[in-house]
Amino acid sequence: MKFTIPIGPQHPALKEPISLRMTVEGEVIQDADIRLGYNHRGLEKLAEERTWIQNIYLTERICGICSHSHATCYVQGVEKLMELNPPKRGLYIRTLVAELERIHSHLLWLGVAGHEAGFDSFFMYTWRDREVVMDLLEMISGNRVHYAINAIGGVRRDIDEMQRKKILDGLEILKTRTEYYFKIGANEPTFVGRLAGVGYLSKEKAVDLCAVGPMARASDLPQDVRKDDPYAVYDEVPFDVCTADTCDVLGRTVVRIKELFESYKICEFLMKNLPPGDIAVKAPTRAKPNEVVSRYEAPRGENTHYIKSNGTNKPERLKVRAPTLANYPATVEMLKNGFIADIPLIFAAIDPCICCAERTVNIVNARTGEEKILRFDELRALAEERFKKMPPKRNAVWPF
Amino acid sequence: MNDLEIIEKTKSLLGDKIVEIANPAVRRIFIKVEPQNLVPVVGGLKKNLNFTYLAAVSGVDLGESFEILYHFGHNNGSLTVRTQIPRANPHIESICSVIPGAILYERELQDMFGIVVDHLPDPRPLVLPDGWPAGDFPLRKDWKFERPEEIIPGGKK
Repeated sequence: MKFTIPIGPQHPALKEPISLRMTVEGEVIQDADIRLGYNHRGLEKLAEERTWIQNIYLTERICGICSHSHATCYVQGVEKLMELNPPKRGLYIRTLVAELERIHSHLLWLGVAGHEAGFDSFFMYTWRDREVVMDLLEMISGNRVHYAINAIGGVRRDIDEMQRKKILDGLEILKTRTEYYFKIGANEPTFVGRLAGVGYLSKEKAVDLCAVGPMARASDLPQDVRKDDPYAVYDEVPFDVCTADTCDVLGRTVVRIKELFESYKICEFLMKNLPPGDIAVKAPTRAKPNEVVSRYEAPRGENTHYIKSNGTNKPERLKVRAPTLANYPATVEMLKNGFIADIPLIFAAIDPCICCAERTVNIVNARTGEEKILRFDELRALAEERFKKMPPKRNAVWPF
Repeated sequence: MNDLEIIEKTKSLLGDKIVEIANPAVRRIFIKVEPQNLVPVVGGLKKNLNFTYLAAVSGVDLGESFEILYHFGHNNGSLTVRTQIPRANPHIESICSVIPGAILYERELQDMFGIVVDHLPDPRPLVLPDGWPAGDFPLRKDWKFERPEEIIPGGKK
């Protein structure tokens, strides 16, 4: 007997409202169908009516968690169109904020993953430590969410000696804490067992479906725009691209923890080698007719902006491709042949989001049309109950 | 592989299908093709030069015609395949047979520009709401947004 389960449009673990309709047979998901557009704000059309400078703040509001990534992607594209060369110090500060943002996003995601796996102390630890990096961001930019640090031609705020010291101290705390999480992960067989083998995405499928970011890297695809197509100052900063070959949620967790260490390394390098000088150059209000493809590695994957100018002070076309959209086809693939009880965990692995609010899942019996409403905490209880009955996967190991 | 090698290899393998190659900046290559050659060129790039990752599909309204740009990512930078189709007969062949991950971008293109993507495995609307009037394509330059008059039930007349 087959059932169809609609999930969403308002649902856990997804920042954007999205509707997924799953066909299940027993506990196993046979097929998943996707419907988007519940949060379509017509932003690309709006951008054509705004000036180059107004659009910085518009693109910043595409996303809350990775607000700096869209603004930077847009700004560095516009700088190419206007043929500007931002000063080194400005680029260093821009990169610093980008890496701090990656740290806060990955810590947030780790907490969500721990929560969905039923490991709530992990969630509380990571979210407590996330405050350290949030405070640093607030100190640098004045804001916790929309940093608004970017300007065309550089950044808007400088860093002084006291702030530099505070950032280095904060990084030291975060580093010791993250080492501890890495150790807990390795020594907690139930946590490893819950994550291993869930949401499998093979390397071939990841290539075919154009997966990006930690999803692709956990499927052993070493793609990272910071390395492949260095922007800002990434060509001078030493760091490694982190990959895992387990192709499941465990791999995605390990990739993100390893990336945290790389981000600490990058931030430390930036703070120790911060060059003196100006932070911005003056930008013109118009751009010559031209076009540019701007790429940026956001915490969730590659951001792509295509910007076309027509000689006026407004863009002719601004195309935005956010990483989550690129990962949807792969998500459908991961959900197939998984269990209903794994849905929260697979969702959480796609995209980190604050989903403390209770949401509902509507289970419809395809034959009788009978509906059953499950609150999200009940769905999670179902997941935990199923896992309690399962023997721990003894052979699953933490890949160091 | 640097830009010059990619251009050389593309020219030698697919030279007869390509109208123009431009390299305006480091790690940015733009290839112009005729619409009927799009699928073979994308297939050739994927098979011979390992351009497997499609980053985005952008549409641009040029007035008399539409331009469609397929942005590819690569370990050595970015390559864009561009093609133009007439506004009067906006049809383009789907590249999903070569790159299955293109489906959402092509469906979005259909919604926003009214370009008909032929042989798309799943041509349903993607981003626009269910009750969206047919023939309204928001990203066309001649489309203007008009806020519908707000009617408050039981409100003043």
